[in-house]
Amino acid sequence: MKSLFRPSSAVLSAVIAAALVVSGCSSSVNDSAGEASGDCGSWAIAMHAWNGYTASAQVVAEIAKKELGCTITQTTLDEGPITYDAMEAGTIDVLIEDWGGGRWKEWSDRGAVIDVGDGGNVGLIGVYVAPWMVEKYPDIVDSKNLGKYADLFKNADSGGKGAWYEGPPGYTTIGEKMVSANKLNFKVIFAGSEVALIDGFTKAEANKTPFIGYAWQPWTLHAKMPNLEKGHVKFPANDWTDAAQASGLTDYPSTPLIKLISKKLNDSNSSFTTLIKNFKWTNDDQNMVALDIENGTTPEAAAQKWIDAHADQVKAWLGK
Amino acid sequence: MRVRKSYLLLGSVVLWIFLARILNGRHTLQIATYENTSFTSFVGERALSIRGNRTESTVFIYFFNPIRGVIDGFVQAIRDLIAVPAPNSVIPIIGWLGVVGIVAFVVFATSQWQTALLSVCLLLGCGALGMWQFTMDSIALTLAAVLLSLAFGLPLGIWAGLSDRALKVMTPFLDLAQILPTLVYMAPIALVFMIGAASATIATMIYAIPICIRITSHAIRTLNPAPVEASVSMGSSSSQTLRKVQVPMAKQMIVVGINQTVMAALSFVVIAALIGAPGLGNPVVSALIIRNVGQGFVAGIAVVFLAILMDRSTSAAAKRQESFIPPTAQDIKRKRLTLVIAGVLAIISVVISRTLLWAAIWPQEFMVARQVQELTNNVTAWILGNLFIFTDGLKDLISYSILNPLETILSQSPWYLTVSMIICLALVMGGVRTGVLAGVLAMCIVLSGLWFEAMLTLTQTIVGTLLTMIFGMALGIWVGRSDRAQRSLRPLLDAAQTLPAFVYLVPILGLFGPTRFTAILTGVIYATPVVVKLVSEGIRAVPPTLIEAATAAGSTTRQIITKVQLPAARKTIVLATNQGLIYVLSVVVIGGFVGGGGLGYLVIVGNSKPELQGKGLIAGACILLLGVIFDRIMQARAHRSS
Repeated sequence: MKSLFRPSSAVLSAVIAAALVVSGCSSSVNDSAGEASGDCGSWAIAMHAWNGYTASAQVVAEIAKKELGCTITQTTLDEGPITYDAMEAGTIDVLIEDWGGGRWKEWSDRGAVIDVGDGGNVGLIGVYVAPWMVEKYPDIVDSKNLGKYADLFKNADSGGKGAWYEGPPGYTTIGEKMVSANKLNFKVIFAGSEVALIDGFTKAEANKTPFIGYAWQPWTLHAKMPNLEKGHVKFPANDWTDAAQASGLTDYPSTPLIKLISKKLNDSNSSFTTLIKNFKWTNDDQNMVALDIENGTTPEAAAQKWIDAHADQVKAWLGK
Repeated sequence: MRVRKSYLLLGSVVLWIFLARILNGRHTLQIATYENTSFTSFVGERALSIRGNRTESTVFIYFFNPIRGVIDGFVQAIRDLIAVPAPNSVIPIIGWLGVVGIVAFVVFATSQWQTALLSVCLLLGCGALGMWQFTMDSIALTLAAVLLSLAFGLPLGIWAGLSDRALKVMTPFLDLAQILPTLVYMAPIALVFMIGAASATIATMIYAIPICIRITSHAIRTLNPAPVEASVSMGSSSSQTLRKVQVPMAKQMIVVGINQTVMAALSFVVIAALIGAPGLGNPVVSALIIRNVGQGFVAGIAVVFLAILMDRSTSAAAKRQESFIPPTAQDIKRKRLTLVIAGVLAIISVVISRTLLWAAIWPQEFMVARQVQELTNNVTAWILGNLFIFTDGLKDLISYSILNPLETILSQSPWYLTVSMIICLALVMGGVRTGVLAGVLAMCIVLSGLWFEAMLTLTQTIVGTLLTMIFGMALGIWVGRSDRAQRSLRPLLDAAQTLPAFVYLVPILGLFGPTRFTAILTGVIYATPVVVKLVSEGIRAVPPTLIEAATAAGSTTRQIITKVQLPAARKTIVLATNQGLIYVLSVVVIGGFVGGGGLGYLVIVGNSKPELQGKGLIAGACILLLGVIFDRIMQARAHRSS
């Protein structure tokens, strides 16, 4: 047995040694890649799961790679503290769209992340019913009347009350407060994912079944279901900015979506810093790219298409 | 005696249901998700100050941060080698062809050429699925975690194998680690070591090391004592005995331990993505969020491929040493020659992968990911469109018939009623000590302020375990009685056990939507294989003489099963139920991602909302308390029934 094992370990170490030797010398593939990198440096962009985010992040990434010659890594990770921690640890440099309304304060107070203003997109969260219901029950979009329709929304999971669906865990929500403050006979169910909501609205609209849930602008579902906005339930105008202080009686505020960068990127004088600070576009711009992605175009191609069509705007972001 | 006990159980359950009806809705301790109790907000503040201190406190600067740095560096070094592009380059140090060459050579050197060929095919499969870099990241992380786990686990295991005292000290920790749901300890680890590869590696190690320790100590303990005694009587020192006799003799079993360690580490690969691990977990988790069944499926297949690759190559290495025929001189020469040739080929492939672009980065033309993804999405869409009556019907049936009534009893009755019921059941099933322990642990959950959520999780766990036991017993009896069933189902069960639950969570979500049922079904699928295995082993262990006697007495097959085999395998079945419970619990909490609610959702929401972090940590502790209560009651019961 021993005699069988010895040569293998000898050859194994030979292979490893050879691999190390080979890795020591620079090869032709590496040389050809060298020319791409300019003075921009190497940066990591956080990638969050929703399509709107992907659209913004991919446009920035494509410009950085093609125009500035940066080396860009795109890292998929969850939103919120996980990302801020990663920015503090130096593994993430850019967060292009944060809905949190200041939940990064703890990190920005100690200088770990830097708020560089909004990216032009404005987020507006709301409670929506499936649009077909508005035609049948026109007064349902007034929050005062929601209570009397609660029975319509009952299902197997709602424990005898109406089922009220909320989105993924990280999203800002005051659904439970709305239900209890307005004394509505609903049970809040945390669907856990964005697509659960998309499915919910789409199926309800197709089968004419009742559905009430969390929705927002900018969101690609609006492009696929143009009358969704009709189902927006109106609560009295908002009186809060921090979700923790909300009474639940009033509606969500409109939220400018913020760009955050790491201390490292902020301190460096990279052309990439300028790009991120200047990046600003509208909800329509984002929806255009996001819809392409949702319809099956690769994020790279969808972003490039928008970049090609908006050369002047890109030039302005680059400060040229 | 037994009759009286079952009457007692029945009586207390009836009383419980009756009281729950009367007192419905009182003292349920329900609080809204966004609300903190003074205890959870205290824990949240502590967590916050830990985070704030990471750059200042001495413990962090001199202890935790260096550990993080070393592990991060170790993982990064392996990733630089095979996974991520080197600085100023578009390719890693070794391109895909080089990795394939090296893996083929290593597997060939440690086992046979058939396994090497299989490994190559599986790696190429991962590449064709468009998952090359994710796969390499996962391999890097698994490799790092396994090497570190073995570095700690093997010595500890040998120590526990040699010293009874060491084993006694370690056993409670090993037991605890085995019932600890993975979701629970990820958040505390991430709090200390931050999000990233280091946290993921450490979390994986916590999962894998106990398995390594257990199998290694078992290997040392079950050795044939004769050679050991001979060596001692000939005057060898204890270290000589260990090095020259015990370890070489236990080698094969230890390799099995390594195999199990690798599989444990691999099953963590997906969920580790939640705390920033690079690798195959990322496409699976993002597929869950945007519920792209196709994307989840493609990444899931890559995980399965990787699992088969790792399992086959390590278990083949263990098996190869079984041959007792000494190799002839010619055999050795031939083996040497082929090894040298294989080694040269591996080196050539590495060199090519560093010089030619097609061998460095997986070529786009050889990818079927999009097609597989589209096909899966189409199939799912068809099922959703055409079978929803069936899937909705099944979901509603389970929900209305058992889930909702049980949830009403558990969560809508006063806490003191349910606590006394738990104590009562523990007393009857496990005795006074178990009763006291269950009471204390249940009161801890009450005091934590998360009682209501714990009851939601408890409901789902009980329903999931019931379903698991129905399927598991039926399949287990079949597999236990039929050799053909054993042969055909065994590989399937093995595969199902290594598959991370996240992989099938995505398609189940597609079928059943964001509901508690999705969470429960995922738990059932995860727990059934282990129950089947245990039950079938229990049935097989029944002495054949008993069955012959029953057959001679003219019993029918049904009578043999119900009157002989099941009663004789009773203890194993209780243990299987215990395993089922723990497995279902550990996966049901992941259901928080898909509308399952309960404690699992609080853990998840605690990860993404700073103001709820304390609540999330406490929710994790409550999951553990629930697990310990289950485990103690069932263990005590198994102990008694023997």
